[in-house]
Amino acid sequence: MSSTTPLRLLVGIGNAGVTVLDRISLERPGMKGLMVVNNDAESLAASVVDRKIHVPGEDLREGFLAIETEFKSALTGVASVVLCGGLGGEIGSFLLPALAALAKANGVVTLAGVGMPFAFEGRHRRESATVALRKLHDLCDAVAVIDNDRLSGGVPSTAAVGEAFGAADRMLQASILALQGMLSTSGPVKITRSDLASVLGIPGAATHFGYGHAEGSNRLHEALEKALKSPLLSIPGKGSALKESRMVLLLLSGPSDLSFAEVQRAVGELERIAGDNSQVRVGVHATGTAGAPLELSLITSSGVSVKLARQSEAGEVAASATPHLAQAHGESSAQGTNAATTPRQAPKPSARTSKVGTKQTQGVLDLENYQRGRFDKSEPTIVAGEDLDIPTFLRKGIKIGTPTRH
Amino acid sequence: MASNQIYVGLEIGTTKICVIVAEGRSDGTISILGVGETPSRGVRKGEIVDLATVSECVREALLDAEDKTNVEIGNVWVAVTGSHLRSFNNRGTFVLPEDRDVIIEEDLQTVETNAKEVSLPAANSFLHTIIQSYHVDGNENVLSPVDMVGSRLEADFHIIHGVKTRIQNTLRCIESLKLGIEDVVLSSLASALVVLTQQQKDLGALVIDMGGGTTDYLVYLDGAVRHSGVLALGGDHITNDISIGLRLPIARAEILKIQEGSAVDPQYSQGGVITLKNDPSFHGCEIDRRALDTIIHLRVREIFELIRSDIESTGDGILGMLGSGVMITGGCARLRDIATLAEDIFDLPVQLTRAREVGGATQTFENPQFSTAIGLTKYAMAVSANAPDESLLQRMAQGLTGIFKKR
Repeated sequence: MSSTTPLRLLVGIGNAGVTVLDRISLERPGMKGLMVVNNDAESLAASVVDRKIHVPGEDLREGFLAIETEFKSALTGVASVVLCGGLGGEIGSFLLPALAALAKANGVVTLAGVGMPFAFEGRHRRESATVALRKLHDLCDAVAVIDNDRLSGGVPSTAAVGEAFGAADRMLQASILALQGMLSTSGPVKITRSDLASVLGIPGAATHFGYGHAEGSNRLHEALEKALKSPLLSIPGKGSALKESRMVLLLLSGPSDLSFAEVQRAVGELERIAGDNSQVRVGVHATGTAGAPLELSLITSSGVSVKLARQSEAGEVAASATPHLAQAHGESSAQGTNAATTPRQAPKPSARTSKVGTKQTQGVLDLENYQRGRFDKSEPTIVAGEDLDIPTFLRKGIKIGTPTRH
Repeated sequence: MASNQIYVGLEIGTTKICVIVAEGRSDGTISILGVGETPSRGVRKGEIVDLATVSECVREALLDAEDKTNVEIGNVWVAVTGSHLRSFNNRGTFVLPEDRDVIIEEDLQTVETNAKEVSLPAANSFLHTIIQSYHVDGNENVLSPVDMVGSRLEADFHIIHGVKTRIQNTLRCIESLKLGIEDVVLSSLASALVVLTQQQKDLGALVIDMGGGTTDYLVYLDGAVRHSGVLALGGDHITNDISIGLRLPIARAEILKIQEGSAVDPQYSQGGVITLKNDPSFHGCEIDRRALDTIIHLRVREIFELIRSDIESTGDGILGMLGSGVMITGGCARLRDIATLAEDIFDLPVQLTRAREVGGATQTFENPQFSTAIGLTKYAMAVSANAPDESLLQRMAQGLTGIFKKR
């Protein structure tokens, strides 16, 4: 293999993809194999990434045909490609699956790291993103989904809109670097493609992702702590996603002086949090200089789809209003944890959701405020991905009898 | 009254602000002259969120204390807490120069500086560097290495650090009242000073100071601080849980917690109903006692379990070595059955404690809510006995380093 052709390609697609790749290229000068694809000539011109493909014309389908050959030639000699972008917009929703199909057809290991739009971006975008995501799942070996709405736990509600998007971009960036890093792990401690596929290959499953970095003598602990605080690692009302998962992927990358003891500590700690039902797969990618910051990424998924999870939240809202429903719901969620992989009651709630429409989103927010009570506006106390301001009995799903009014 | 013997401790808590004025005696004990106290506003989870309001409350508490003691308060010792505080243990090493083989006082300073050569997050600064033990040429646990002969001096420290700006907010609040600040002290360190005897520190003990907004804990073993931590969870969370679970207004939930609350395991709950009477702003109702017990039990159990797992995560099994068991102090120590629950979780003997070795206004030190503030005065006395004469400003320049000496 010639040294100019990188083995692993990282492709940013659409405006979000370009932004993320620009950040990576600025933060990690010298990182090879970066490429951006967009139909917005201005955004491409402003990008600092060297390799750019401009999708011409108004019609994306025609545009895609125009760049097909160019993209294909970029894939020669490439072992894996990680595609990255935001779903919901035209370019992300159409071009991402199209390029994934192309890469896959050329025998390249294809992974995708994508952002799902915020609820405030409108229902149309959300729906188109869901369709695109399903396609991606069919095409790619693994898909990491950053659900922007779930991220909002980490951004104060008073934050500027720009800040919310910034946080989403940072998370997307960290997740695709983690994917890239996991593919790059080699030697005795590596994450295999089948590990990736078993965590990120489940259509409709929610991806849970955490990232942290630190240096110094206590770097492992600090990086792990940061990663565990990620809002994407918690399932609303249920606490840490690690407890719900079957397999957790852990990537440690950075300094060459990463010690055996540190790897052991990280795995031990995660196993403790995740419990007996989950296994931890660890990959080490320690190619940096000694003393470089230690980067720690966690990826896992929970069997219940993003959509189903939302519906159950909506159920909880209704439940908190009437104790009657609360009981019914308590039973159903107990079932759910026993058989997390079986999609339960799928048809019925979806019928209800379509009726409720946009009102449902409002309900979810209300529930969160209600659960936090007087801590509504204060800085959340997050330990191991759980918001501890929410009453313990609620997080543990224990029923409390309501008082009898005179 | 000789001013050098008066120590004033100020704790800006989530529930209350209290000022303890104490007099240090020559025999090493302290006597409380009086207490100033106001309910706290503008503090959440141990940290100031509304500076102007807190300043006003602190002023009230100070005036209250001045009225009661007839002491004009000039300088105070301040407790800090908050979820941003972190701790770790680290060892510093110093190899003596070739032409000298006797350890001198300055070497202790050098070894401490070396132990602090770790990269903290950029926004953080050191709060305390507490000596655990010295080692001279492999000779472990040397108490006082000065004047000893050796070539290599090592020392283990417990280092506590936090976000500098958050600590500074507390200082700003006090400075706005034209008060001098002697030093800032970690709350749990202050509490431990009064609730533990020297013997308990040697045998090993876990002190849990469970207040309104935070739960601070600290482990002493072999006479030295081995571990410390802050959880931004406390009595307010219990009240909030009750308010949500039983659909009561916060104020009503707080009263119910104080009057009827218990951390008892719900399966041993005495059961029955608690009748809440009508009042102008509240429609009366009947509460199932088991429901109340369940809510409180789950929360307190969780807090204790978090503390246990944090201490266990240090990996050196110190929890099993604590010969004196667990001491619970702070406002939540008054919660019924809390000791039984703690015994269950830590598998150690548990005591509810309050300040010891103090004389004076007895009612004060019998209230566990005052442990921290009394501890501040005791800390003040210990430090003043051997502190170098430098101002807080100088210490701020060095990064807020406490100068706490063992024993």
